[in-house]
Amino acid sequence: MLHQVLQALETASGPVSLDDLSRQLGVDRGVLEDMIAFWVRKGRLQTGAGGACGKGCGSCGPRAEACVFKAGGPQTITLVERERR
Amino acid sequence: MTAVTLASPGAAVRYAPPIETELERLVAALGAIPALAERYPLRWLAVQLLEGDEHLLAEAEGLGGPAVTAALAASRERLAPHYGEDLDVALVDQRYRFVHTLARQALTRPAAPPLTLSDRIDRVVTHRWLGIPIFLALMWVVFKLTTDVAAPFVDWVDATLSGPVSGWATALLGAAGLGGSWLESLLVDGVIAGVGGVLVFVPVLLALYFALALLEDSGYMARAAFVMDRLMHALGLHGKSFLPMVVGFGCSVPAIYATRTLDSRRDRILTGLLVPFMSCSARLPVYVLIAAIFFPAQAGLVIFGLYLTGIVVAIVIGMLLRRTLFRNQPPAPFVLELPPYRLPTPRGVWRQMWERTAAFLRKATTIILATSIVVWLLLALPVRGGGRFADTPVEQSAFAALSGAVAPVFAPLGFGGWETSGALLTGFVAKEVVVSTLGQTYAVAELEEAAEAAPTNFGEDLLGIAGGLVSATGDALQVLPGVIGITLETPEEETALEGLAAAVRAGFEASSGGHGALAALAFLVFVLLYTPCMTAVAAARHEFGSRWMWVSIVGQFVVAWLAALLVFQGGRLLGW
Repeated sequence: MLHQVLQALETASGPVSLDDLSRQLGVDRGVLEDMIAFWVRKGRLQTGAGGACGKGCGSCGPRAEACVFKAGGPQTITLVERERR
Repeated sequence: MTAVTLASPGAAVRYAPPIETELERLVAALGAIPALAERYPLRWLAVQLLEGDEHLLAEAEGLGGPAVTAALAASRERLAPHYGEDLDVALVDQRYRFVHTLARQALTRPAAPPLTLSDRIDRVVTHRWLGIPIFLALMWVVFKLTTDVAAPFVDWVDATLSGPVSGWATALLGAAGLGGSWLESLLVDGVIAGVGGVLVFVPVLLALYFALALLEDSGYMARAAFVMDRLMHALGLHGKSFLPMVVGFGCSVPAIYATRTLDSRRDRILTGLLVPFMSCSARLPVYVLIAAIFFPAQAGLVIFGLYLTGIVVAIVIGMLLRRTLFRNQPPAPFVLELPPYRLPTPRGVWRQMWERTAAFLRKATTIILATSIVVWLLLALPVRGGGRFADTPVEQSAFAALSGAVAPVFAPLGFGGWETSGALLTGFVAKEVVVSTLGQTYAVAELEEAAEAAPTNFGEDLLGIAGGLVSATGDALQVLPGVIGITLETPEEETALEGLAAAVRAGFEASSGGHGALAALAFLVFVLLYTPCMTAVAAARHEFGSRWMWVSIVGQFVVAWLAALLVFQGGRLLGW
């Protein structure tokens, strides 16, 4: 079952939402989140947010809210490079 | 989901035979150590140790000594031919399988799972065909709101700064015996015309940030990224590139840093080259100023068109690069976690509006102020004619001479005047500076008009400011329904342009041979596509190195120049 998560990502033809993936694999979303968390701990998947500010720029304030879309960006889960190869 | 029966009330997890064999051996070995047997359920302990729980292993070794280490190592060695380094994966996977099988036997699920409200909304807004039109329609509403509703407040701030505030500064300096001095020129022509010219657009940014905060806090922006990801993937681009590109609508600098979310360096560089084409919020004041002068009735449409042009140019350039410099990069699929829809809270929306506007104000009082002072110094310095410092016609200033030297580059694009060329040069520092420089170079005529206005006292000024605010609020409320297509206001006859607007219009008409509107459109396209600011350049150098930084600067300039040429010369050929 765990490997199905990796396979689904390897064979997907575009971005997939977490809900769609849970329907595709026939598991509850909560279970899928746990499985993804396991692979993240194992270093096979990585999570990341849409924005990555953290650097002082002309338009940004000291807090993340100052970065437009930083707060509204979705969380992404990707295969790590070695997994894709 | 309804529980009907529990298939196996006493069901125990059974692993694959090789693992079960080793678990039995380990349980026997661990059971021989009383300290462990008293403290832990032995099968559970054996499973944890096989899974590699280091904390528990240290505890077990502390209690059981080297016998634990030896038994564990022997079991792992015997299991290695079956599972390699993935013994822990096999153990966890078999538990998931067990629970899944049990749940399937014990639970009856409806054939089609019930849809939540978020699911229902998502079915529409992330629909394969409807998703992008919905995204564009929402963006259209955002820009209508930004331009139409904020316009009365822009006029109010402009009238306040160029009228009472300039008057107070002049009166104060006059009272201090500095009337007519270079200091007065610096304060009025440099700081107020420059920084004030940018501060005028605070209402526009507040309106933009309000609309964006609603979209972000509701959870829609995550869906927009999802929809655009799918489009980009279909075009052969790395779908994940759209996440930094969406951030680029706000500011190119965090967007360049956001390319770190991409896995390969080539994908990061490719996205970093595309991000600056997305129209950042710093360009908005330039759009609003020029669109209000040349296209007052279609300002929202022009601005929306510019944002769309940025996306299209980024996608086209991305596809070209993907087929040339960045070939053989397989796209990497990924999973997006879409947050549930929420009702935005007034506090959350206000916090985002304030944080972003405060950041803009900080920029106005640092980078823009410093650049305005440098521009004023260059404008005050005579290099031709018989003028003196701070008392010279602007056409004879060092700034006019410097800007005039690069003006021929922009002549084929219709905006080869020294004023616009100078504004584009200083715009390299930050895009808002384009507005402040236009304000400074064209400010003379406006200030002369202001000086001719009837003098007022402080109380009358305050009453005028308050009255102006009330009037602007009334006007904004009147145009609000227009955002969704309902017009309450009576159409006004087009009024003659005054002050800065008239001077800018005359400047574009003169440099374009009478095709002012076309030249203005080409100018906007150029502003959209050339280097966003020096901070973005520094970010590109930091992330991708000097070589790619120069590729970015030169590439954006060439694309901007060609696109502006296409607009101006193409428009002329079509007889516009």
